[in-house]
Amino acid sequence: MKTASSTLERELNSPKTQRRRKYRHLGDGLTRYGIATGGIGVIVAISLIFFYLLYEVFPLFQDAEIEESNHYSLQGEAAEGRTLRLVAEEQNEVFARITDSGQVHFIQVADGQSLGSHSLPLGADQTITSVSPGLPGDDILALGLNDGRVLLVEFSFGVEFDAQGERIGVRPEMTFPLGDETLILDPEGRPLQDVSRQVGRNGFILGGIVDQGEPLVLKLATRTNMITGQTQVTPQPAQLPARHAYQQLLFSEDHIYTYAVRTDGWMDVYNTRRLREPELMQQVRLVPDTQEVTAVRFQLGSDSLLIGDSQGRITQWMLARNSDGERELTAIRRLELGDHPIAAIEPEHRRKGLVAVDTQGRVGIYNTTAENKVIDAQLLEAAPQAVAISPRASMLLLQAADGSFVTFDVDNPHPEASAKALWGKVWYEGYDQPEYIWQSSGASNDYEPKFSITPLALGTLKAAFYAMLLSVPLAICGAMYTAYFMAPAVRKKVKPVIELMEALPTVILGFFAGLFLAPFFELHLPGIFALLVLMPLGLLAFGYAWSQLPDRIRFLVPDGWHVLLLFPVVMLIGWFSFAASQPLEVFFFDGDIRNWLTNDLGITYDQRNSIVVGFAMGFAVIPTIYSIAEDALFGVPKSLSHGSLALGATAWQTLVRVILPTASPGIFSAVMIGMGRAVGETMIVLMATGNTPIMNFNIFEGMRTLAANIAVEMGESAVDSSHYRILFLAALVLFGFTFVVNTLAELVRQRLRKKYSTL
Amino acid sequence: MNTSAQPRTHGMNMGDLNRDAASAELSLSQETPCISTRDMSLYYGESKALKNITMDIPKNRVTAFIGPSGCGKSTLLRSFNRMNDLIDGVSITGEVNIDGQNIYDRRVDVADLRRRVGMVFQKPNPFPKSIYENVAYGLRIQGINNRRILDEAVEWALKSAAIWDETKDRLHESALGMSGGQQQRLVIARTIAVKPEILLLDEPASALDPISTLKIEELIHDLKDRFSIVIVTHNMQQAARVSDYTAFMYLGELIEYDNTDTLFTNPSKKQTEDYITGRYG
Repeated sequence: MKTASSTLERELNSPKTQRRRKYRHLGDGLTRYGIATGGIGVIVAISLIFFYLLYEVFPLFQDAEIEESNHYSLQGEAAEGRTLRLVAEEQNEVFARITDSGQVHFIQVADGQSLGSHSLPLGADQTITSVSPGLPGDDILALGLNDGRVLLVEFSFGVEFDAQGERIGVRPEMTFPLGDETLILDPEGRPLQDVSRQVGRNGFILGGIVDQGEPLVLKLATRTNMITGQTQVTPQPAQLPARHAYQQLLFSEDHIYTYAVRTDGWMDVYNTRRLREPELMQQVRLVPDTQEVTAVRFQLGSDSLLIGDSQGRITQWMLARNSDGERELTAIRRLELGDHPIAAIEPEHRRKGLVAVDTQGRVGIYNTTAENKVIDAQLLEAAPQAVAISPRASMLLLQAADGSFVTFDVDNPHPEASAKALWGKVWYEGYDQPEYIWQSSGASNDYEPKFSITPLALGTLKAAFYAMLLSVPLAICGAMYTAYFMAPAVRKKVKPVIELMEALPTVILGFFAGLFLAPFFELHLPGIFALLVLMPLGLLAFGYAWSQLPDRIRFLVPDGWHVLLLFPVVMLIGWFSFAASQPLEVFFFDGDIRNWLTNDLGITYDQRNSIVVGFAMGFAVIPTIYSIAEDALFGVPKSLSHGSLALGATAWQTLVRVILPTASPGIFSAVMIGMGRAVGETMIVLMATGNTPIMNFNIFEGMRTLAANIAVEMGESAVDSSHYRILFLAALVLFGFTFVVNTLAELVRQRLRKKYSTL
Repeated sequence: MNTSAQPRTHGMNMGDLNRDAASAELSLSQETPCISTRDMSLYYGESKALKNITMDIPKNRVTAFIGPSGCGKSTLLRSFNRMNDLIDGVSITGEVNIDGQNIYDRRVDVADLRRRVGMVFQKPNPFPKSIYENVAYGLRIQGINNRRILDEAVEWALKSAAIWDETKDRLHESALGMSGGQQQRLVIARTIAVKPEILLLDEPASALDPISTLKIEELIHDLKDRFSIVIVTHNMQQAARVSDYTAFMYLGELIEYDNTDTLFTNPSKKQTEDYITGRYG
């Protein structure tokens, strides 16, 4: 006995044992640090994702910058005359200066060196009196002459390469689309005080103002001969009534509307569908009574007008339907720039942006969609002689009152982002009232991108709502039955099977929902509703009938196995509902429920709609909710249910009054986690919703969710564009959403743990 | 002091706490039974856990079940309000009559039976509700929601359970904030609030400290006039202190059942004597 114990003692203190202890200690430490590293790693990874999203989103909300790059006066010949128009080009290397003496000078942006001066093909006594405002994407300018004629001139700036493929520079070119020929706008030969030009489908239209504000219109149908390449121009003169003195004419792109700006601060809008009989649609006061209109330009796309007034405001006007359904010129937004009259407005060429300069040389750069003033800077001391913005809106060219030229580098990558544009109602061009719209890209360059995240956020909530509508009752009732009533032997089988549903790839569910469920539901819509009504009622009726059966039969099924009896009942009700679908449709809805919905109720029906999403995503979410809720219910201490039963409560009373309240935080947590899953779910909504970003909760229409939107548009957004960053913003919103939902669920769970730790 | 006149106590302090002065004179044959089992056996699946128990539990007395762990005393107690139904695979033969009716008859409303035969468990199990709602629970279950009635009943039950003074100022605080002993008395209050006829106490003090145990024992003594009490305990001193009658069970059999003094001082069976003298257990 003594020897055995001393052997053991020796063994316990042997170097081998001590070594083993050291290893054990080491292993313990390694495990501890390993787990800590893993845990911290997860947090770091999530934080990194979060910060990366922030990093990508941040530039959206960064202020634009403007910086003076060059300041010089022109030398020699190039300095002569008065500037009528400056034309900038894409590379910001060269600009053209058109002077009243009929000269065009090409000047290097960097140092003001002349690259050549050209005389326009004018007669001896011809001078230029006006130049039409340029149209973005169209390099032709109409020059109004002092004899009522118009000369068209086109500028092009091509990048030149030498034989080795090395870039030489930008080569400016001037051509005359109609040759040297001039068009006669005023047959009486009066000087054109203002000229404007608008292109259309098969030709263009010229407008001019002569003498005392008399308006002149000339429509020109052009036909280009395919073989000779010669262009034939057929003039169709038209006449606007000279009711008032006008200062400027503008034409809509389809030539249907003519906007005539009066010199007294009013505008006459004409319907010029029939050019010979213009019809006055509306007279509208553009500025407050004491104010004057100082600058008028079309915004990019020629759908809306930018009106600068003498109080430093720019108002955007547009034809929109009023409450009577009539088109009416409406002020849709107002931008402010100081208190001094607006001297010039230049719209950007590729975005719904604009530069405005007032008479004190204060410059504002705006985005109209976002109602965003990105730049507001005092760049000159007085009104500029001329203003030009380069096609990429990266350079601003100003000619100061003293004739010197100043160029500015503009860094304004994301003017489209503002809280209002992203979340609020925006009055987009072509719409009759402000709306929430997501439509990130269009067919043409002058498209107004619509970046409202609101319909996407709403779509996300809508999808989650319908999924929860189906899954929450089913999952929680299922969990209640499994945890509380089901025989343990059945429970052991049922629970893993439901949890296994979670392993089903959602792409399969989406595929199935989009390609099978959607058309099936469309065909059997009355059946779906019959199912939703009959299933609960039928099950209740069966339960009641079962309880009324003689004991002899009832006791054949042991407690907790009754669920098996429901299999045939569920199948029967399902079969009956769909079999009854056709007759129901014939009987109640004249054989076509979709027609009935659309015509009688005015509800739009889409094939891929919220019902489909509710079923498919509900199915995906059920296992999550069920599993957690079942654990919560099953985890309620038996002593509580026994305590309640021992007080004379029935099983149902015990469930409702003790088990459910006790498990409620766990069930809440289950619902929240399910919700988090539904919110972040992508494939099902991508494939089964139709992806229409609409703003309603109509069960018969689809939706576009944040997640699906990212998946759909990721591939079509240019890297670092506003669209690209807004997609990241959508991801950030989604991340925030799931983060909040899951955190809330976790907090509640923690509280639960604390509250019931004494049980 | 004449030691020979003293009853044999086997060295135990029997105490005089709850004992009726004339307890030694109590006799089962003179009592009115409230529960009578007739040849009752209980099976867990195949194994027979209670073997042909026939006994009468007297009305308005405290009856204690003692015996070593696993002897079936808790099972027997639970069969008086059919809590065994909640355990899978339990089947019962024979009769358990309360007020002349076999409670295992199919027509018996189990929920109502359990109201009439209240039960307190080993571990305090207050609901995660307020003290007030815990006590009112049983009444609300019965559909009583009248505030005045509930207020009165709650006060009565808490007073009866000798816990009113400690709880009257915190009726609407969570019951889970109370100490174990208070919780157990609250559970007793909750049980008697529904006015049961019989109280089944399943080792009610085994999870409590000595002072709380003492309070529970005092409470049992106070409640005896109004309720028939059956208590399961593995603490023999406790059985001796609180009960009028004691039943000794061993391996599912009722070995001996007599008034407490007799059973502890003069057991008629060898097994009983062995147990109470601590030879096994």
